[in-house]
Amino acid sequence: MAAGGKAKGSGPSGMVHLARLLQFSDSTLPIGSFAFSNGLESALQTGVVTNPESLLKYVDLILRQTARMDGIALLHAHRAAVVGDYEAILEADSELFCRRVGEEQQMMLTRVGKKFAELVLKIMPSPMLERWLDDIKANATAGCLPIGQALALAHMGVDEVEAFVMHQYGIASMILSAALRLMRIDHLDTQRILFTAQGRVEGDYLAVRDLSLDEMASFAPVFDVLVAHHTTTHVRLFMN
Amino acid sequence: MALHEQLGRLDAARELRDFKAEPAQMRAAGPGKVGELRLGFSLRNGRSILHDLYRVAPLLVQQALYWDEAMPELPICSIISIGGGILQGDRYKIDISVGEGACAHVTSQSANRVHQMDANYASQHQTVTLESGSYLEYLPDFTIPYRDSRFINQTDIIIADGATLLYGEMMLAGRKHHHADERFGLDLLSVAVAVRRPGGRKLFAEKILIEKGDSSVDYPAVMQGYDAFANIMCVTPPTVAARIKERFETNFPAEAPRAISGVCRLPNDAGLMLRAVGMETYDVRREVRRFWQIVREEARGRTLPQEFLWR
Repeated sequence: MAAGGKAKGSGPSGMVHLARLLQFSDSTLPIGSFAFSNGLESALQTGVVTNPESLLKYVDLILRQTARMDGIALLHAHRAAVVGDYEAILEADSELFCRRVGEEQQMMLTRVGKKFAELVLKIMPSPMLERWLDDIKANATAGCLPIGQALALAHMGVDEVEAFVMHQYGIASMILSAALRLMRIDHLDTQRILFTAQGRVEGDYLAVRDLSLDEMASFAPVFDVLVAHHTTTHVRLFMN
Repeated sequence: MALHEQLGRLDAARELRDFKAEPAQMRAAGPGKVGELRLGFSLRNGRSILHDLYRVAPLLVQQALYWDEAMPELPICSIISIGGGILQGDRYKIDISVGEGACAHVTSQSANRVHQMDANYASQHQTVTLESGSYLEYLPDFTIPYRDSRFINQTDIIIADGATLLYGEMMLAGRKHHHADERFGLDLLSVAVAVRRPGGRKLFAEKILIEKGDSSVDYPAVMQGYDAFANIMCVTPPTVAARIKERFETNFPAEAPRAISGVCRLPNDAGLMLRAVGMETYDVRREVRRFWQIVREEARGRTLPQEFLWR
């Protein structure tokens, strides 16, 4: 049995599995994502986001975009991890990284990815994740977060649907926790937004599950300018 | 006539699956529908020249001219489409190569209009190859996808260490003053680019995909309030990229901006990307020109000539 004690079904045998899914989805997981806002800081400074309604649209867009980029790489890496194809994992890593424009976006992707791998390896042994972390340290691979998540979660017996949901949840909760510190909004509103935004996850999964790495795509020109904007702002709390 | 390999691969793209019907007019990819253009620039006796030119209508280049007063050594080619725009069933193939140490500028005669379609689609494949120390500005004019148009474009760039390429796409949401349904009324716009080193190492890839009915188009972080955008990449060595980035000032005023823009780094030390969004084409063009001037000054020590009144 895999390290997470996975057993399908609603009986008590799946309880440890569920508990660990919750642990790895927790927004307080110490991987440093509190330092990133995914462009929200610039979106607020420039008036692209001004209130809870526009924040919901922002989160919705980022989830859509993340599913069609990182989500595809995560699914490919997960499938590769399940069959033990390490070369395919490296391919997913480099294909995702070479599509990430903006030094701060690149840093978010790789710094959190590396921290995640280090954290997991403190908790449980995973030979493939260990090999991947060694390759990150040797500059042989980029070390993108969704790839690390895919490796660890596949090792725990988490299936690709669950892994996809956890990844998307992590992105939404990262932006909303940044929102609490950046704008006039309370915890109740952010929870309402999170609840609403999560409604799209199934449609996103179905839209991307059959896509190849070459089909990672996006379209968000104003967001792309925000990414560039943040690298040149002087007053800032977040790293992107 | 067998279609070129890369164009054939584009035909298999997933996003084209619903657009396979044959036009009622000339058949897709038939004679007269497959445009081809091959441009080769190289250094000869210390001067950059167009040494290789092959063309098949509807694509046309006549000759290289040297009219840039700020960079008189620069051969300039203007791509002409004698068809008056891209029609359903058209297949275009463009190859541009620049030899060691040579420079060139390639542009297009006017906006690239992708006409309304009721069957099939139009595709274009481009290959751009730069040898070491070469310099290419490939800046086609705006692409304007009319409503119900379907256009897929793939650009494969192979660039040696030490060469500099300025390449990008400028897009308008449609004929915005012509019809209310024109703004992003397209069926499909799929624009992909991949940058590799001669050995095959991939540095950067990007794909823009807009499909009909995508409600996120009018989100504030996508295109709300704007109709034109540009993605202009400058693939250049890291030292040059650092100088350009240092000089380019982000433009994102808080009060009712006509255009916004900023530059950020490409992955794998490949260079920089200018992102610009604006209300009208000229708003975006101004941002692109600001970037272009800095790139030329830092990469080649030349500046831009005065802008023509009619551009």
